[in-house]
Amino acid sequence: MENLVTIRPELLGLATVELEALSPHFAVLGGAVLALVLSVVRWLQPKWSVFLVSVATALLGATLSFPGLSGAALAVFNGMMVVDPYSSFFNLIFLLSALITLLISFRYLDSEKLQHPEYYVLVLFSALGMMLMASARELVVLFIALETMSLSVYSLVSFRRADRRANEAAMKYFILGGAASAIMLYGVALVYGATGTTHIQAILERLASRGAGESVLFSVGAWLIVAGFLFKVASVPFHMWMPDVYEGAPVPITGFMTTGLKAAAFAAFVRVFLSLGYGKGLSEAVETNLHHILWVCAVMTMVVGNVIALTQTNLKRILAYSSIAHTGYLMVGLIAAPRGTEGYSSLLVYLAAYAAMNLGAFIVLTLLAGKGDAGLNLHDLSGISKKNPVLAFSMAVFLFSMAGVPPTAGFVAKYLLFYSAVQAGEVPLVIIAVLCSAISVYYYLRVLVYMYMRDPIAGATSARVPVWSVMALASMVIVTLQVGLLPSPLVEMARKAVAGL
Amino acid sequence: MAWFESHLLSTLVFLPLLWAVAGLVIPGKFRKTHAVWALLGSFLVFAVSLRLYGAFDAGGAEFQLAERAEWLPSLGIAYLLGMDGISLWLLVLTTFLTPLVILGSFSAIQERTKEYYFLLLFLETGMLGALVALDVFLFYVFWEAMLIPMYFLIGIWGGKDRVYAAMKFFLYTVVGSLLMLVAIFYLAYAHKVQLGAYSTAIVDLYRVNVPGGGWLSVQSILFLAFALAFAIKVPLFPVHTWLPDAHVQAPTAGSVILAGVLLKMGGYGFIRFAFPLFPEAVVLYQPVFLGLGAVAIVYGAWVAMVQPDIKKLVAYSSVSHMGFVILGLFSLNSIAAAGSVYQMLNHGVSTGALFLMVGMIYERRHTRMISDFGGITKVMPIFAIIFMIVTLSSIALPGTNGFVGEFLILLGTWKTSPWAAAAAGTGVIFGAVYMLWMFQRVMFGPVTNPENEKLRDLSGRELAVLAPLVVAIFFMGIYPNFFFEKMEPSIQRFLERAQVKSTETAIADLGRN
Repeated sequence: MENLVTIRPELLGLATVELEALSPHFAVLGGAVLALVLSVVRWLQPKWSVFLVSVATALLGATLSFPGLSGAALAVFNGMMVVDPYSSFFNLIFLLSALITLLISFRYLDSEKLQHPEYYVLVLFSALGMMLMASARELVVLFIALETMSLSVYSLVSFRRADRRANEAAMKYFILGGAASAIMLYGVALVYGATGTTHIQAILERLASRGAGESVLFSVGAWLIVAGFLFKVASVPFHMWMPDVYEGAPVPITGFMTTGLKAAAFAAFVRVFLSLGYGKGLSEAVETNLHHILWVCAVMTMVVGNVIALTQTNLKRILAYSSIAHTGYLMVGLIAAPRGTEGYSSLLVYLAAYAAMNLGAFIVLTLLAGKGDAGLNLHDLSGISKKNPVLAFSMAVFLFSMAGVPPTAGFVAKYLLFYSAVQAGEVPLVIIAVLCSAISVYYYLRVLVYMYMRDPIAGATSARVPVWSVMALASMVIVTLQVGLLPSPLVEMARKAVAGL
Repeated sequence: MAWFESHLLSTLVFLPLLWAVAGLVIPGKFRKTHAVWALLGSFLVFAVSLRLYGAFDAGGAEFQLAERAEWLPSLGIAYLLGMDGISLWLLVLTTFLTPLVILGSFSAIQERTKEYYFLLLFLETGMLGALVALDVFLFYVFWEAMLIPMYFLIGIWGGKDRVYAAMKFFLYTVVGSLLMLVAIFYLAYAHKVQLGAYSTAIVDLYRVNVPGGGWLSVQSILFLAFALAFAIKVPLFPVHTWLPDAHVQAPTAGSVILAGVLLKMGGYGFIRFAFPLFPEAVVLYQPVFLGLGAVAIVYGAWVAMVQPDIKKLVAYSSVSHMGFVILGLFSLNSIAAAGSVYQMLNHGVSTGALFLMVGMIYERRHTRMISDFGGITKVMPIFAIIFMIVTLSSIALPGTNGFVGEFLILLGTWKTSPWAAAAAGTGVIFGAVYMLWMFQRVMFGPVTNPENEKLRDLSGRELAVLAPLVVAIFFMGIYPNFFFEKMEPSIQRFLERAQVKSTETAIADLGRN
């Protein structure tokens, strides 16, 4: 009986310090399992109990992640995972995104008559998968984490079961995602064949000592792994799934995907990039060829994302294509990071800023969405500013931030990202990037045109805004402006996070 | 009070914004209260700027009243403010025009007054900030932040095609600024490489050695990136096309601020950034810009001549007048440079007054077409007198402010390039033609349109708006030395910087006291 009540670390094969380091993961895992159990305890009103437990779990996990920001790196599970400031930084992004998603989902699910407790559990499990992704130092562990996240998200995308678009989106996402996972796994196998290991550190050592980097096996493996990731971050030419999935998924989940999922994919992308020795001059295939491939992908991603977004009239799709465009900017940072002096820190700042502004925008979308996610066409937004000035103002802040206009988080993030790319000598890439973001200004402002410069359409009622959402919205507005005005704390945090990479 | 004395510039910059935020608690239905609140705030800001005038040491060429706080130390970005004799007058111009446009908006703006006055004061913070920022990052923040309120002012309270105009205005400016941003990155990184530390303070960047020499050397390309951003703002031919749309569609206050202050930001940018940072490229590209300036003067005047709409005519006259500014700056001598700075102030006063008066008559008749008027002198004599004075100032009659600026510019330009000066001289003549011809068609002759017979003359409030401008027109025309003595050393300093790459020690640590 005693053993069941107190967790004894040695039974898990973990020292106390390791357990401490992994406490956010265990907290989320425990919370998710507890929520799962509660969802069948009918007399406790699962709707409330599961919701509250999930929210508390996300909060607890985030709180427990804070100490890790300034701690030392600690390898756990025989070095297959690592808990370091880098993973803690990302844990915060994931868990805060999850928290916001949970908060805004409650009323949304009520009004859509989808109030099933599994929803909250799935959000927590996908957050757990993301956390594991950021911590993985082993390609197989990474893959398992990726699948944990993806499978939860596949189900969440299909949550509006009765909606045909949702079903189509989920099916498309599942099949394409499965194919991408298979490609990535095949790449892992080939890299294993070339180097004899799947451990990130060990791969690097083998590359340095044996010159395995010049083998065809390794090159093909590396490219396949990268292709898998390009799918996950929705880079052109692997972006086709994204707009449909974003449109089909419930609005809060779309928000969660654009922030948590994207951040997780980039978190793992960076680790894998390091494992392939990018920027270290170990392999011609990675150093030059992969650079060129990514360069072309980045340019295509920025151009395609921004240009297609210009023609969209549905807010969800506009934000979907804008999300593709932002992936392009992030890839600029990814390509340049090893050669700039700031390294990956600007990438982290960008991901954090993007998470804040994009989540904010999706909070607004959730509040505006009508039955079946209707009412999200630009036309439906006409004159919102008159009826709901607070909502319109918040949206304006987020849109200016996405467009990279000061004084917002988006500007600071873009500044740092492009600055580090210039330092890395990628001037042409940066020029393309800034021109693309000039294009993006048009479609972001177009949303504002509808909100502020048109008369309200008849019949539209002002949205009822529940207190949860107000809290979530206010916090995102504050974060977006605060990072824009006083970026130093976030930048320092990101620098610490990447110092040990 | 001690804090106030040592943070004069911060107070000046952020007072309008804080005042505007405080004003948000007033419920939206009290329309007049918002207007009065904003007016009080803008007067207060003007008072602070007068204190600034008192605190400014006329003999000093260096940046004064500097303030510094660390902002993003890991990249050498600091909150660094300071001013010299050139920014002093532009600051005063800004704080001088803002109360006037607020007072001028009392009757014109009846809808969403809360947002309107909030945006106007927010805009004032952006403009003042851009004029005193001595860190390029900070400058860029203010420079871009100005766009947001202007975009809404045009887009919400503008005319029929307001959305198109607002969008065009924003996009034009953003494209230019973003390319400048890349150049800023390059410069900041060059500073790090050459001098070993991150800094984005302007005085530090002045010392960066940028390889120049050819038409496509690094220095030339960086110069062009900066010049494009500023040329769009000025706006210089051929990137001026956003201006007529924005000016015509904007509400009166928007047009006045746009013409009076925002366009000056372009000229100011050339003075503060493009010239001292890239002196070789400036000399290399001097003929190009002299040519463009001269073309802008003549082209602007020609196009203005055929406009049927008074407001559009004034808008094109802006293109012409701002061409003088570019011409003077690129002449690279002290007479023309002083003339250019003066011309910027003049243009703010006289074009601001013109836009205000066009707004007043538009409020009465809801048309701005020249052909709808005629014989206005008979029904609105006071209006006609003031309009005459402003018109004469715009065509640079001796005794008015316009004369001083244009004369100095032509004099200075003659030394550098007689051809450009000659071409610009014809612009002065065309300027007189289009302004006087418009005046004649609107004001003289019989009252042909019966709707014009019952027009009210200026109200007391409108007189209060115009009187300070009329006083300024004469004062600046008769006693220009009052202005020159404060800016002379700064202009000399600017020319020194623009001619040789600065080797002086950095004063980026000014304000660390």
